[in-house]
Parts: sequence; structure tokens; C-alpha cells
Amino acid sequence: MRRAILIAGLCATAAVLVAGAMKADGISDRARKLHFSSIVVDTHDDTTQRFLDGNNFDLGPRDANGSIDIPRMKEGNLSAIFFSIWMPSKITGPDAVKRALDQIDAVREQIRKHPEALVLATTVGEVREIHREGKIAALMGVEGGHMIASDLGVLRTYAALGVRYMTLTHSGNSEWADSSTATAEHNGLSPFGKDVVREMNRLGMIVDISHVSDKTFYDVLETSKAPVFASHSSCRAICDAARNMTDQMIKDLAAKGGVIQINYHVGFLSQEFRDAEKANPQIEKDIQAEVHKRCGENEACQLIEGDNVVRDFVKAGKLPRVDYTKIIEHIDHAVKLVGADHVGLGSDFDGAMMPFGMEDASNLPKITEALLQKGYSESDVRKILGENTLRVMAEVERVSHDLSHASPR
Amino acid sequence: MRWTRPLLFACSLGLVCTAARVVTADDIAERARKLHFSSIVLDTHDDTTQRFFSKAGFDMAQRHTDGHIDIPRMREGGMNAIFFSIWIDGRIMGPPAVQKAIDQIDAVHQMVRKDPKDLAFCRTAAEVREAHKQGKIAVLMGVEGGHMIGNDIRVLRTFGDLGVRYMTLSHFYNDEWADSSTDKPAHNGLTDFGKDIVREMNRQGIMVDISHVSDKTFYDALEVSKAPLIASHSSCRAICNHARDMSDDMIKALAAKGGVIQINYEKSFIDQAYKDAYDKASGGVVEAMNKVTKECNGDEECVINKVQALQKQMEDSGQLPPVSWERIIEHIDHVVKLVGADHVGLGSDFDGATMPTGMEDCTKLPKITEALMRKGYSDSDLRNILGGNLLRVMEANEKVSKEMQASH
Repeated sequence: MRRAILIAGLCATAAVLVAGAMKADGISDRARKLHFSSIVVDTHDDTTQRFLDGNNFDLGPRDANGSIDIPRMKEGNLSAIFFSIWMPSKITGPDAVKRALDQIDAVREQIRKHPEALVLATTVGEVREIHREGKIAALMGVEGGHMIASDLGVLRTYAALGVRYMTLTHSGNSEWADSSTATAEHNGLSPFGKDVVREMNRLGMIVDISHVSDKTFYDVLETSKAPVFASHSSCRAICDAARNMTDQMIKDLAAKGGVIQINYHVGFLSQEFRDAEKANPQIEKDIQAEVHKRCGENEACQLIEGDNVVRDFVKAGKLPRVDYTKIIEHIDHAVKLVGADHVGLGSDFDGAMMPFGMEDASNLPKITEALLQKGYSESDVRKILGENTLRVMAEVERVSHDLSHASPR
Repeated sequence: MRWTRPLLFACSLGLVCTAARVVTADDIAERARKLHFSSIVLDTHDDTTQRFFSKAGFDMAQRHTDGHIDIPRMREGGMNAIFFSIWIDGRIMGPPAVQKAIDQIDAVHQMVRKDPKDLAFCRTAAEVREAHKQGKIAVLMGVEGGHMIGNDIRVLRTFGDLGVRYMTLSHFYNDEWADSSTDKPAHNGLTDFGKDIVREMNRQGIMVDISHVSDKTFYDALEVSKAPLIASHSSCRAICNHARDMSDDMIKALAAKGGVIQINYEKSFIDQAYKDAYDKASGGVVEAMNKVTKECNGDEECVINKVQALQKQMEDSGQLPPVSWERIIEHIDHVVKLVGADHVGLGSDFDGATMPTGMEDCTKLPKITEALMRKGYSDSDLRNILGGNLLRVMEANEKVSKEMQASH
């Protein structure tokens, strides 16, 4: 390992020395070649909210706002994107189901509108085929178990419509699982919650443990027959947020073949940022007031403008600046802890406050460049960019296949 | 086969016609049986879905002594393509209606998953033909009532994505955008949004079903739709004057646009004397439904059972006259005489209606083929009536959908 890093380090130095190999944007030819020949997967993007906010947002043209559209995905070689189906935890029952179906339809409509660029993918095989065709694979994840209204038929319907993971809770507890950001009421997963996990295994949906309480996480790990992932969580060892994972959790997740997909949200990346927010509660209120002024109750707007407002506050010196290199620190921490097979990318684009230098999907090659600079092997970089996530998906598919054929009745 | 031609030729000369026509009853029975069991026999309306939610449990693979549909009886009756109806009471609307509908769609998918040897889920006419080739029963779905989309075109698309291949624009009650034939007009047919729904159905390749809708809604749908329509389970008013049936003019207009009327076997839709007596006894179908819905408190299987029990009780007491299955043949023949054999098919309403004597369940279907053959129907006409016509309409809808999606 040490030798590999040394050699890679020498290579990186050599690359820097050869001026011609480095483009003006700071991405070396080697990194560019590696990045653009890899399948880059992002497991969490809140862009879906923009489809439904009444402004007819379309993925086709380049947008001045937000982080995701087809031109910028192509520029950053974001090859497979999980559009998040999300609404606040307080919406439950049939209303939640209806709203989730509307969002799923909105994603599918974007795919229908852009057949030249976007293709719905529900399997690893499809993701690879779509990538070969030079198109972007569109996938879906449901962010919060409250959206199934305690009904396995609804869960199965989401799967039938192409949803490939479900986060068991959002910020509030669901009827059957505790969240990391609410008072525990189920002691983790309820018996029905365990049935949900088993049905997800059977359906070939990845169980997503981002957002859930530590106890829920361990209950899931014990119940699930397939590896699970954290679609958008970072490391508590670097930034102590309940939404992030402890080193022990990351180790236990990895031991079962899972992946932690690093979230780029500054409040999950940087302890300094978190502390500054905590030290001055007025800042949070001011941010919210400004966002409300710009957006009213429009949730898509709130997500996008939240990012803009925080950026303004940082520029005004009210909050510490967080750079995209913090993402690399989290990736490197997880790699040092459990190796390069258990970490991936779960940006939270269009749903969180992005660090400087990672404003949108076009900046993704910087991650490849930074990891190569750190001496990561090309094979490890490919894994982090997407192959690890695809491996988990493939394993989930295999378990689903086995379960479906074992007990048809 | 080789001497079919000379025989026909002789026949046309009037020489040995008598000899050629004198085939024994057994010959026809045998020919009809062969034709029936080699055809795609497709039924566009079956309420069996409600039984999937039965508290007692319902297993399609088991032969039942009650109801009309299960795999063993479908095999016996040669019924090899079925549209399971997704239905809830028309007064349930909004998100609760949407969730109930997707629960039923899921139940159909689960049923197929449990019996992959016998059942194949189909979304296209080609898939139905392929399932038939493999000796499997083709399973399709229709949503019976526009109230289930929660007044939202996106939910309609979602139903389409889940495999629903037709939607009846209303049930017994008006929905938010279409008038029903059994309710007081509220929209003068289809509203503007209702017309958008029809256009979106065309775009998604979901057939527009005009059973249940008011006459004005029917004509509005006919004008708006770019693809042929179906009446998934309606019969002829000329024989039985029920609002749920179609007038001769409507059937002609439907056929002129390539559509098909799928004959409903419900006794009060096919027999005038029965309908008159039923209305007199119950105050009409809607009043009877209102009463039992209240009694059943939202349990849909209970509603169907109670309506059937009520009818049976009235029949046993002599309040309602007997109806023979041959009425079904009369309705088919009426349509054929009116518009030809390309515009009629089968929409039994099994497990959702009271069946005439002799059509107690789907095992009796070969009788229809034999009866029509005895009337002199050609083999090709018979195959079309049994399923070919509906597949033609499906294909036409698929074509329109492809064109609309390509030109967007």
C-alpha cells in the first residue's frame, strides 16, 4: 500500500511538473481521461423538487441556478443519477403516496422528454448499457419511509415504477422506523419495519440508512439479506452530525459489503461550519428568513436558495468558508478506515449547501483529480466514482433474484 | 381442406348445397371446440380483483365453487386473456382513491408473480399473442372509473406506467371531469380537462373506455380521441333499454372510428323483462348500490356479494324472470348485423355482475363460439369476436401512442 502511494505520488508530482498535461481548470489529462471513461454515479439529487414547483424546470437547457441539468451533467460526466423522491416527514398516508407518485411521474416525464440524453435505469446492466450509448442513466430513490403509508403494496408500486432505493426515514420518524433527528419511539425498526426491509430485499431495492437513527441502522444491518448503503451521509469523526456515520457504523456497514456515499453538504462536511452555526443561532434564523423572503412555501426554491443564501453569508464573513477539498477528506477517512471498496458519492445537489468549488455537477472531475493527487490507484478511483455503488446494486439484484425464486408463494 | 373450394363452388351452383349443409350437430360442436380452443379468447372486464382482497384469501390457482373466474376454470373455458378491473366506489376520490387503486394494481401484479407458469403480464397486443403462443393466460388491467386518478393527469400516466391498458372515464357517478350515464349531468359530457385526459390516454397508449359514461361524454370522447375507443362491458339498448348499454347510433359511430363494443353478460343489461322487473323491485341499479354500499361500509367484495345475493333472492322469489345465456348471442348478432363482425367482442363482467342461466362462469365460454358458428359465422369472424377485434384496437392505440410520443 505504502509503495503504491509513493509511486502514485511520484507520478502526481511528475504530472504537475509537465505543464502541458494540466489544463487551465486544474484537471490533469490523466484525471480527465480516467474521469470521463468511468461510470460516475451520484446517489442523491433533490432536483426532482424543481420539476414540480410550478416553474416548469426542464433538464434540457443549461440553468444558471441549482446544480443539475443535462449540459452540466455531461460536462462533469455524471453518468448515473438517482433523483430523490422527497417530501417532509409530516406528510403521511394517501396524501404522501399521491405526492410521491407525482414526483415519480415528473422524473419519468423528463426521461420521456429527453430520450437522446436520459434513459431510465433499474438494473446495473441497464446503467452500463446506457453509459456505453453515451447517455445518462436516470434512477430514483424514495427519501423517507413515510411515503409508503405503512402499505407494502405501495412499496412494491414504487419498485414497479423504477424506484431502486428507499431511505427508511427522513428527518422525522416514520410509522415504523426511528430517524437520527427525532426522538426515538420505535427503538429502531418496528416488526413491520423489518418486514419492509425484507420486502425491499425481495424487490431488489437498496435499503438506504441515511437519515435513520443508529439503532435503526443496526436493526437494518441485522435484518437485511443484501448489502445496504448510506445514500448521502458523511463521517462523524470529521463532522459530528447525527446525519453522519460513526467509524464503528462505517466498519459494520463495510463488513456487510455496503457503501457510504459521501454527502457534500457543508453542515455535514465541516465541524467548523457546524460550530459556527451553533454558536450563533441568529444566523440560522436570518438564513431562514431570507430564504422565506425569496421563496415563500415553495420547497424547491427553498432548497436552491438555501445554498445561495449560505454562500452570501460566507462571503460576508458570517460563516466559515468550506472548500470542496473537505469532500476528499471524508472520502479519504472512510478509505483509511475500511478500504476503497466502501465509499462513493451522494452529493445532495439541489438539496443542500454546496462547498466552494463544488457548486454543481460540472465540478465532479475535481474529485478524480484530487484523489489521484493523493496517490489513489485508478482502479480505486473508479470504484469510488461509481463501481462500488454498482457492486452493491448488483448484489441487491442477486439477493432479490434468489429470494424471488426461492419462495414464489 | 383440399376440397373446400370445389364444395363451395358446387354450393354456389346450387347443385349439392343441401348435401354440403347437412353436417351433423356433432361436426359443428367439434369444429367450434377446435376453433375456440385455438383462438385468443379475450375478456375485457372481470371484477375478480376485488376477491384478491377477500379476508378469506383468494388463490387464482385453485378451482372455486363460487364466483366466475380462476385459472382452472379459465383453462376449461379456453379463456386466455383477461382484463382485471381496478375498481373502487365512485364516491371515493382524491389521494385515498389513488392509493386504493394502486393497491389493486399491485394485487394483480402479485397474482401474476405467484403463478408464472400459468399467467403472463401483458402490456401490448404482441405480448398477448406471445403469451398465447406459450400457452399462458395473458393478464391485463383496466381502471374502471376516472375518479381514481385523483383529478391529476400524472396519476393517469402512472397507471399507464404500471401496465393499465384502458380506463373507463367514469363509473356509476360523475367524476370531476366526465358525466356518467347513471348520474345527473354535471359537465355536459367531458370538461376541457376531461378532453386533456383523453388526449393523454392516446399519448400513453391507454385505451379510452366509454362504458358507464353518458351519451354526451361518449360523443365528446369520440370526437377528441385520435385512437379507436372501446366499450369494455356494455350491451345493446335496442334489445334492452338500459342507460349502461349503447344505442344503435352510438354503436355505428363507435364502429365508424374503428372501435369495438364488448358485450356485457349482466342480466339487467341484456334482458328487457328482467331489467323492468329489477327496476320495479329495487328502484334501479344506483339505488340498489347505494343501499348495499351503506350496509357494507366500504368493503367492496361485500358490495358485489350483496348485490348478487339481492338479485338471487328476487329471482328465487319469482320477482325477477329467468334469463338465458342465449341473450348474449342476440346482442352479439345485433351488433354484427348493424356494423359487421369487426366491432364486437366479449366483456363479461364476470365476478361483478349476475350471470344469465347457462353462463354461470367462464367454463361456459365455448358455448358462445358454438352458438355463433351455428348461426353461420365464419371462422375468421369468430376469432375476431373472441379477441381479434380488441387486439386490433389495442394495436391501433399503440400506433397512435408511438406517433404522438415521437412528434412531441
